[in-house]
Amino acid sequence: MMETDAVKPTYVYGLMRADTTLPEGLAGLGPSGRVTTIVHGPLAAIVSDVPVGRPLGMRGDLVAHETVLDAVAGRAAVVPMRFPAVVEEHAVVDELLAPNEDRFLTLLDGLENRIQFTLTGRYEQDAVLREILEGDPEIAGLREKIRSLPEDATYYHRVRLGELVVQALEDRRDVEAADIVDRLGPFAVTIASNPLGAPEDVVNTAFLVERKRRREFEDAVESVGKALAGRIRLRLLGPVAPYDFVDEE
Amino acid sequence: MSVTTQRGGAGNGAVERAPGGGSSSLADVVALILDKGLVIDIFVRVSLVGIEILTIDARIVVASVDTYLRFAEATNRLDLYEKGGKDLPELVQSITEGGAKGKTTGVIEAAADAVGDMLARGREEREEVRRPVRQRPRERQE
Repeated sequence: MMETDAVKPTYVYGLMRADTTLPEGLAGLGPSGRVTTIVHGPLAAIVSDVPVGRPLGMRGDLVAHETVLDAVAGRAAVVPMRFPAVVEEHAVVDELLAPNEDRFLTLLDGLENRIQFTLTGRYEQDAVLREILEGDPEIAGLREKIRSLPEDATYYHRVRLGELVVQALEDRRDVEAADIVDRLGPFAVTIASNPLGAPEDVVNTAFLVERKRRREFEDAVESVGKALAGRIRLRLLGPVAPYDFVDEE
Repeated sequence: MSVTTQRGGAGNGAVERAPGGGSSSLADVVALILDKGLVIDIFVRVSLVGIEILTIDARIVVASVDTYLRFAEATNRLDLYEKGGKDLPELVQSITEGGAKGKTTGVIEAAADAVGDMLARGREEREEVRRPVRQRPRERQE
């Protein structure tokens, strides 16, 4: 890299052990397109240059951040930084690696030979609505009433019906999510639950899995998915870098 | 959470698979990395290095009357006796068409301007980027 007197901004994707080799062909988010490392003792920061003439945070920047980290995670322990992490080049050693060496090594130890999967699940809408209707007399009654009246006379009934249905969905999903996570928990080292968005969302949980148990975990997810087929659609993202597992308690 | 579907990995399984590595949808990338990862205070001082960073602004979308009406409609269109073997093809079809798919009324919308060039990609793409905040959304009940 060229030395200049000017402050040189550096993008930091994450941290790994100094003896980990970067995968070939990584594409950085800076104009050089390169991804390199800055090594200090047993630690290495995974870095690149940063975009010039445009702000950081475009779609491609997010994708590059994830792509680089997932690629490293595919072969070794990596600590992802929170996007976007920019620092002056000298600070990578002086302020990041040197003062935090023990802390970062401890984090890497905890991630050794482990990878993350994120499981999301959504209700199959018709199936779950049918269950709710059959199990809730108030909702079923309201629905019948709405059906017996002309549409323009039912606005408030329909709002109320929708509110009750959404409430029923939110009530039952907590139980379902706990059940799904319980069945997969034994195959993971740690789990981290994320908040849910739409009312149909059932589960959004990250699992930290031992590499050697990856197949076992995937088989367990598949088996849970089979059991839920027709009611809940599961989606498994990964393996990815351990984004959900670097919070220090 | 995602509208995009990708099949990979094990193939024909019951569970949809999405590989990592940034090759999945933008919604996946956003959900996966935003507000995740290690926070070090030196990165807060980014203004020192003169880099402009797009703020990732998470707006709360409160569960609205539109959400309720969408679920009311889906419920009303449901044929309760479909399973019982009544042969009503046209009704079944209307249920299928009426199934509110893809309209994510998520509680949080990661501001589209946070992901700059996405703006040009149209509404579909922007809907994909909606994601929840880490806090459980219960605003509706307040």
